[in-house]
Order: sequence, then structure tokens, then C-alpha cells
Amino acid sequence: MSALLRSVRDGRGFDGVLALLALAYLFVFSAFPLIYNIAMSFQEVDMFSLASLIRPFVGLANYQTLFSNPDFWPIMWNTTVFVALCITFQLAIGFGLALFFQQDFVGASYLRGLFLAAWIIPALVAGAIWKWIFAGDFGVLNYLLISSGLINEKIFWLSTPALSLYSVVLANIWLGIPFNMILLSVGLAGIPKDMYEAAALDGAGAWKRFFYMTLPMMRSTIGAVLSLGIIFTLQQFDLFASLTQGGPANSSNVAQYWSWQLSFQNYDIATGSAVSVLMLGFVIVVAFLYVRSTRQEHQA
Amino acid sequence: MKRYVLLAIALCFLAIYLFPLYWMYLTAFKPSSETFTYPPKFWPDDPQFNFAKVFVEKKMDTYLWNSLLIATGTTALAAFFGTGCAYALARVRNVWMDIVLFLILMMQVLPPSLMATPIFVLFNQIGLITTPRFAVVLAQTAKVLPLYIVLCRTSFMQIPKELEEAARVDGASRIAAFFRIIVPLARNGILVTSVLIFLQSFGEYVYSRTMISQEELQTATVGLMNFMGPNTTDWNGIMTYAVIYVTPIVLVFMLLQRKIVSGLTAGALK
Repeated sequence: MSALLRSVRDGRGFDGVLALLALAYLFVFSAFPLIYNIAMSFQEVDMFSLASLIRPFVGLANYQTLFSNPDFWPIMWNTTVFVALCITFQLAIGFGLALFFQQDFVGASYLRGLFLAAWIIPALVAGAIWKWIFAGDFGVLNYLLISSGLINEKIFWLSTPALSLYSVVLANIWLGIPFNMILLSVGLAGIPKDMYEAAALDGAGAWKRFFYMTLPMMRSTIGAVLSLGIIFTLQQFDLFASLTQGGPANSSNVAQYWSWQLSFQNYDIATGSAVSVLMLGFVIVVAFLYVRSTRQEHQA
Repeated sequence: MKRYVLLAIALCFLAIYLFPLYWMYLTAFKPSSETFTYPPKFWPDDPQFNFAKVFVEKKMDTYLWNSLLIATGTTALAAFFGTGCAYALARVRNVWMDIVLFLILMMQVLPPSLMATPIFVLFNQIGLITTPRFAVVLAQTAKVLPLYIVLCRTSFMQIPKELEEAARVDGASRIAAFFRIIVPLARNGILVTSVLIFLQSFGEYVYSRTMISQEELQTATVGLMNFMGPNTTDWNGIMTYAVIYVTPIVLVFMLLQRKIVSGLTAGALK
């Protein structure tokens, strides 16, 4: 016992205790709720049984209710569209900007950093700003589009069911660009300059150098940015809350917002936790792939 | 010559990108008669200073104070639990520490809106909901702690092991060496990470909205949400609120920009 104490105070046990302290915290406040969530998704949970520990076990009934809900598949499809569009454009625009700021000019790295100003402000505030930009009658977006001749009449971005999801996508792309750009810049900076010089001497043009050198060299960075993109896009909640609240008629609803709505607006906690279990499972798989790929690189 | 053209293009990109922020500041300064004109004006003819009025009317002092409390509590708790763990992870490389790091990285990705359901039910059962701001601090810490550890770890890794060994030879205990040698050397990294965590928690929304029911304990994000309401038209007021809320965040960011960017990139890719 005293040997153990001594090791903790002044030996190898010291590191162990420090690591375990944080791990214990995360276990209590992250891992345990995760497990508890899975349990809840198999139980009947309502306002009456909320406070009791033992609730009736209902098997897969919550999942059956969920899958038979007519909103389920449209919302899952929305989630897929949201993630796919956001990631594609964030990555493409972020990559373009990263390549641009890679060039040598005064203040390049300082100006590049300023893009992060949009990333640092609370997403809810960004949502408020975009809601005002999107406003139908006096919104500046409609004005810019009409005066440049792209559209003929005012579009009600947030209240038209066919457009509401894409409006949130637009705002989220805006939010995500700086983070993508900065990470991709780091990857670009890691490619040795003399490689390009050698290729240029051998007569490779700018496009060839991009497709045969930059892209292959950036494979691991792009992989990391993609998986981080999926993870962060699925964390987006504040924009939905401030822009559309999933409406009109669930046309812009996505799984992570729906789960919260089910639990805290419809008080259907059991179904809310079932949605949550499905999505958390997906996120964990993506995270697993991401962490494994970066780890392997680290060792290589 | 080419470099100045590039600089000009870069400034254009930045201007287009940051236009929404400009629009926020502009709307805050416009009188409402100018806000609802079509075509809109891109410069205020008659700038207004409604900041004090909105601040008092919308009880922003209470909201901002609550946000400040939650952000401070979260940062303190994350620093308390995270600093040691980051150090241990940077110093020891073995299978066990790899497993710990792996678990921590996995905890980083859980979306708060999905975790809100189980955390709310759990906190409700053990009575933490009666102290809602504390409950938000606990939940938010669990969200940001992994990021704190990952970012701090990279700055601990830059400290040469020999410095600690020298202190040990001179008779310092592990604890003394940690507090007197290691932490002071890594204080820049710790500070920048803490600022980042603080700014993130200052804009926290999901957990506050879920767990805090009393108006006077709500955060600035929830206050803004209430202000916006379903059929709002007071965009001057809302943008004024947003400006008051966001300006300190943007200023802190501008001051520490370089350090935040480098800390962030080192942590995310290693």
C-alpha cells in the first residue's frame, strides 16, 4: 500500500493518476450518459417515469415507432444532404483559398488568420446574422441577387420548404470554410518546395502539378479534414435553432436537431434517445476511422 | 507587382467573406427607418448608438454574467482535469497511454445536442438540475475537455525531458517538478488553449437551453434566441445585441490570432 502511495506521489504512478483523473471525469459525464442513453432507448420514458430509476423495458418498440414515423426517412435524407453539401463546398472553397494564400505576398498568413473571426463567434449569433441576411422583404441577399439580375423576384429563403434546408447549408458552409482552409494550409505547407521546382523544370504545368503532386501529397490531410468535417457538421445545432427550427414542416430538419426536439419539445424522450443512439453510433464509427488513420501516420 | 495584385485579391476575398459581420455592425448603427428601406443602404446616413438602451432593456447584464460564469467555470474545470492528463500523455508513451489518448479522442466527437437527452435525464435524477448553471458547466466541460487535452499535449511535447530530469536530480519531487518546471514552461500553450475553450463556452447554447429554465439564470445565447422570437422585426435591436455580445470575442481573437491559429492546427492534425 505504501509502495503504491509512494509511486503515485513520486514515481510512475504520478502519470497514471493524472491521466486517470481526466479519464474518470470523461467516463462519468460522457461515456456513462452514452451507455445510459442506449439503455433508455429500450425503455418507456415519459414525464412520469423520468425521475424513477426503473422503467418498463419495451425492447425495440421505440425503434419501431421511430422507423414507422413518416418524418424519419425524410429527416435522415435531409441529414445526408446537409452533410454531403456542406462538406463538399467547405472542402472545395477551403482548398481553393488555402492554395491562394499559399502564395508569397505581404500579410498572407495574417489575412488568412482573419477568416477565423467568423469561426470564433458563437454559431447562434452567426445564425442571427444570416437570418437577417436571408430575410425575404428587406434582406440584403435578395437585394444583391435581384440587382445583379440573377433572380427576378424576392425569394423567401427560410419559409419556402424547397429552399429552407439549402439556406442552412449556405450558412453552415460559411461557418466551416475557415477551419477547412487553415487545416489544409498546414498540409500544403508540409509539401517540400523543391519538389515543385523539380517538376516545373521537367515541364509539368500548374494543373499537372496539382493533380499529380499536390493532391496525392495531401491525401492524409484531406482524409482528416473530411472526417473532422463530418463530425463537426453533425454537431451543428445552433444554426438550425436560430434559422429555421427544422421547419417549415420539417423540410429543413436534421437528425441532431430532431432528436433534441423530440426530447425537449415533444417530451418524447424515449424516441429522442433512439434517434440519438443511431446518430452517436454513426459519429463514433467515423471518429474511429479518423483516429485510427491519424495514429497510423504518426507511427509511420 | 504581382504580389500587390495578389494582396488586392486577398483583400477582396476577405471582404466578401466577412461581409456578414460588416452587415451586423452596419445594421446595429442604422436607425430603424434606414433598416427597412429597399434598396438597402450600405452605409448609415444617420448612425445611432442604441447600445446602452438595448443592453438595459434586454437585461444583457444578467445574461452576459451567466455566460461569463459558465465559461469561467468550464475553463477552470477543464484546466484542472486536463492539464495533468495532457502532460502525462505527452511524457509517457506506452500501450496504456495510447488507449487513454484513443478514448479521449473518441469522446471529443459526441454532438452535444445528442448528448443533451441522456445528460438531462441523468442530472434530473441526481438533482443537479436544481443548480442549472453548475449542471451546464459539468456537461460543457465534458465536451471541451478532450480538445483541451489534445491542444495542451502538443505544448507539453515541446518541453525537453532533460529539464525535468535535472530538477529531479536536484531533489525535486514529481509534483514539485510538475508545478515549478513543467507548467511554467508550458504556460503559453495552456493560456491560449484556455482562451479558446473560454470563447467556445462563452457561446454555448444547447446545454443552457436544455437545462436552465429560470430566466434570470439564462445565458446570452438563450437571451438572443428569446429576443429573435418567431415573428421578430426588430433587427436593429437584435444586431445591436449581437454586436455587444460578439465584439469582445472578436477583439480577444484578433489579439491572440497568431497563437490560436498555430495551437489549433498543431492539435487537430497530430
